[in-house]
Amino acid sequence: MAGNFWQSSHSQQWILDRQDLIRERQYDLQVLSEDEYQKIFIFFANVIQVLGEQLKLRQQVIATATVYFKRFYARNSLKNIDPLLLAPTCILLASKVEEFGVISNSRLITICQSVIKSKFSYAYTQEFPYRTNHVLECEFYLLENLDCCLIVYQPYRPLLQLVQDMGQEEQLLTLSWRIVNDSLRTDVCLLYPPYQIAIACLQIACVILQKDSMKTWFAELNVDLEKVQEIVRAIVNLYELWKDWKEKDEIQMLLSKIPKPKPAPQR
Amino acid sequence: MQQLDGKLTRYEKIAFLGEGQFATVYKARDVLTDQIVAVKKIKIGSREEAQDGINRTALREIKLLHELQHENIIGLVDVFGHKSNVSLVFDFMDTDLEIIIKDPKIILTQANIKAYMIMTLRGLEYLHMNWILHRDLKPNNLLVNTDGVLKIGDFGLAKFFGSPNRIYTHQVVTRWYRAPELLFGARQYSTGIDIWAVGCILAELLLRVPFLPGDSDLDQLTKIFQALGTPTEETWPNLNKLPDYMQFKQFPAIPLQHIFTAAPDDLIVLAEKLLALNPVQRCTCTEALCMKYFSNKPAPSMGHKLPMPSSNKQAVEERPNLKRKLIDALEGGTVPKKLF
Repeated sequence: MAGNFWQSSHSQQWILDRQDLIRERQYDLQVLSEDEYQKIFIFFANVIQVLGEQLKLRQQVIATATVYFKRFYARNSLKNIDPLLLAPTCILLASKVEEFGVISNSRLITICQSVIKSKFSYAYTQEFPYRTNHVLECEFYLLENLDCCLIVYQPYRPLLQLVQDMGQEEQLLTLSWRIVNDSLRTDVCLLYPPYQIAIACLQIACVILQKDSMKTWFAELNVDLEKVQEIVRAIVNLYELWKDWKEKDEIQMLLSKIPKPKPAPQR
Repeated sequence: MQQLDGKLTRYEKIAFLGEGQFATVYKARDVLTDQIVAVKKIKIGSREEAQDGINRTALREIKLLHELQHENIIGLVDVFGHKSNVSLVFDFMDTDLEIIIKDPKIILTQANIKAYMIMTLRGLEYLHMNWILHRDLKPNNLLVNTDGVLKIGDFGLAKFFGSPNRIYTHQVVTRWYRAPELLFGARQYSTGIDIWAVGCILAELLLRVPFLPGDSDLDQLTKIFQALGTPTEETWPNLNKLPDYMQFKQFPAIPLQHIFTAAPDDLIVLAEKLLALNPVQRCTCTEALCMKYFSNKPAPSMGHKLPMPSSNKQAVEERPNLKRKLIDALEGGTVPKKLF
């Protein structure tokens, strides 16, 4: 996305403070441990990813939808809106904002139904329970909770520039791109500007590919390395968590622990 | 949800301002701050549109205006609503350039015209610096308040540009202000389309009638070439490769001094750069603002010295806009507008 990041709503309103984030989550964290909380968000990031792929969306749209999802719950308890309803709503809003042509609502619901049945039956034994009117009602609530900040800057563009500047080949870009995708399963998109996330992902990729020659390139960067290391740690932690997690066995139990919304008021 | 319902009563309706295809606009008072604002209530269209959720045009305005802050860009103050039924709250603007141009009691001096041009170009320069094309500039969308500040409004068609391969629709910009490359069906265009529209607006400030009022896309091109000369392969290379290119009769260009007889030379130079047929030769906002015209005398009128329509209210009611709307509706080639 073009424009000026430093004057954007993303930079000025949506780079959050870690302490604030912990405070906002207090209600949910009385019921869930921090690991459990993160696992639930990993699961829903996957749901958004699969929905997006089925709808043939570009990764940019999927990433924006995921950030909307995380921003919403940065201010709300999981009980305020069922994440299974918020996920497709984020996709709908992101596809409009990124000007990705028209996704009809009926198609969105149909895809949700089939994806829940075919890909996530280990988590949901029942059919996808929501209809168009639920998504439409949720959409405005989402817009409002985002404070109408719709333009999200992603690490993908700075990543492309950085890899080009390094004079590196396809392999490094592919790997670091995937690490950026993975970073959406952590809180870094709520806490750090996208260029720092891009640098951190590049660094992890360089370590994996054993590109020691890149050390001087990193050393010459004019960037807060402390922050970059925090991001690296968050992503490495994610991989640690992932390694031992048997999602298919545990997720039903986790989902049942989520504080439930009150039944929607009848209008 | 409390917050949301609270907002429904926050804005007290004062008067009806106008209606377009997408929205109804009201003058309202913010009971919290006592400020006067314009509330644009988006219409819920057909059932099909209602199924689409929050109106896309409204969403485009929200997403862009939320990121922009400039003296010459309309400010989005608030957004409220219920379900998909959205209302946008804007700075209240007393009038617009279309009303001012059409008001026979108003005299537009060279200093006034210069002031309007500076404010338009500054707002537009800011937009272009942020990689945004407005795509629907016309006098009706250049809003003016009693302090004499001009703000560019209506971002329902605005869009990010800059991706080299991105294909855009050419069905943008109200026809009279539409650049020749759009009329020839160009799908990759840039800031030049907004610059052309500014050129047409400058001409309209001088002539007090629309400069190139075509009544079809074909007639629009004919009118452009009759005034500015038919472009050739030399003046506009690869012209014939544009999707909807067709050959026109060779009209000679009329020197702009003959069209704008009362205009000073420095203004003619500016108009020539704004209205260059070949988009590559059109100037940018920044280049325009650096031209002699803006540093030469007379100095632009200060805000409070700019004229206001004698009776604002009357002007809105008597707005002779129906005919143009009808023509546009018949041709289907334009985007219906709100009437401020």
